[in-house]
Amino acid sequence: MLRKLIDESAAKSPWIYHINAGSCNGCDIELVSVLTPRYDAERCGFKLTGSPRHADIVVVSGPITVQTRDRVVRTLSQVPEPKVVVALGSCPRSGNVFKGSYSIDGPLDKYCHVDVSVAGCTPKPEAIIAGLAKAAEILKEKRKEMH
Amino acid sequence: MNIVLIILKWLFHILVFPGFLFTLCAALLLAGIDRKLVARMQNRVGPPLLQPAYDLLKLFGKEIIIPRQANKKAFLSAPAVGLASLLVTSLLLPFSASFVAVSGVADVIVVLYLLTIPAVAIIVGAASSASPFAGVGLSREMVAVMAYELPLTIVLVTVCRKAGLMMDESGMTFSLATVMQYQAEHGAMITKLSMIPAALAMLFIIPCEVGAHPFDIAEAETEICEGTLAEYSGLPLAFYELAHYVKMFILTSLFCVLFLGGFTTGVVVVDLILRLIFCVVVTFLCITVPHAVCARFKVEQVFKFYWTWVLGLALVSLLLVWLGL
Ligand code: SF4
Repeated sequence: MLRKLIDESAAKSPWIYHINAGSCNGCDIELVSVLTPRYDAERCGFKLTGSPRHADIVVVSGPITVQTRDRVVRTLSQVPEPKVVVALGSCPRSGNVFKGSYSIDGPLDKYCHVDVSVAGCTPKPEAIIAGLAKAAEILKEKRKEMH
Repeated sequence: MNIVLIILKWLFHILVFPGFLFTLCAALLLAGIDRKLVARMQNRVGPPLLQPAYDLLKLFGKEIIIPRQANKKAFLSAPAVGLASLLVTSLLLPFSASFVAVSGVADVIVVLYLLTIPAVAIIVGAASSASPFAGVGLSREMVAVMAYELPLTIVLVTVCRKAGLMMDESGMTFSLATVMQYQAEHGAMITKLSMIPAALAMLFIIPCEVGAHPFDIAEAETEICEGTLAEYSGLPLAFYELAHYVKMFILTSLFCVLFLGGFTTGVVVVDLILRLIFCVVVTFLCITVPHAVCARFKVEQVFKFYWTWVLGLALVSLLLVWLGL
């Protein structure tokens, strides 16, 4: 009974932690706009946290530069299970306009399993919300697999 | 037979009402209403009313990470100690002049000490978590404690003096039940002219003591990664969240006891509903509105604000009461 309640709440209270892995700041601003009164993702329980230890969903934006690579890997390993990784924008999945640069060491799925990828440069807030909602569903599945 | 009944009654008081279960439910409800109201004030739809409960349940199901360099015992026991002391405080707060679970000659002093323990628990937990962010957070938490503790003490002394002048031949009472009794006979404290500055000071103290938004310098998630809570995850974090909600309920409830005590009927259920309504109103005034309209203060701003304005208000009240007004 309690276990079922916990599983249900996993999808209803996904806390987001955002890593900027060399992004141009476009995606970062769009992610914050998702929490503004116009789109109000908090009505589904989404909340931006400041510490990876509190996070359920890790949102990575940017093409994974050489400088940020180790930090991304380290931060991802700090997040308690169950966790879901969301790649925000085209950068982390392909490198986008930065592809071929000497300072890029992507894509993101070289380093971790990417559960949801939201395409676009930048993705629309609606798309981001859809991606996060999908991530919340996956979170619930992962929580169910834990026991 | 009698002893069994008394023990059962005690267990009921501690576990169900007004202790553990009731306090938790009321606190979660209050936190949900607070979040919803903040959202509505910012023209948002806002999370569902039960969102705090979902958050807690989710945290129950998360992995607990303990940093390698942390002091494991202190790290894990600090949140539980903080929560426990708050739950004990809930037993001491009377609902009307006649109904109180535990009553003593000097419960005001006990409440004052018990309310300090959660802050100390946060400091101990942060110090034992071996994280630089928690280190910054705990020093800020100490500043906050120093900022609000002095005005809070003076407010309590003022209320005790006011009630004691009438109810006790020594001119001073330290019993919350007597404070309630006084208000039942002479009208609520808030209607006395000399007590209005103290009530205002108390309204300012509540958000800082709770760590609500404009005064949450110790948990500033945008500057210092949640500060004191930076290393906590899973169950211990849930305990801290819960302590936060319970503190909100306890402090608003304390405000009702100190300043809005007269409006009771003697029927426990009616008093209870009245108390909850008052709590929501007080929460709205001193936690929701500042949260919705203010940005976070800097550390020294908080300190200065409390040691000038709030302390000044409390002292004015104290002076007026001592002069017999
Ligand atoms: S996807 Fe586009 S907007 Fe987003 S970080 Fe990359 S370049 Fe910037």
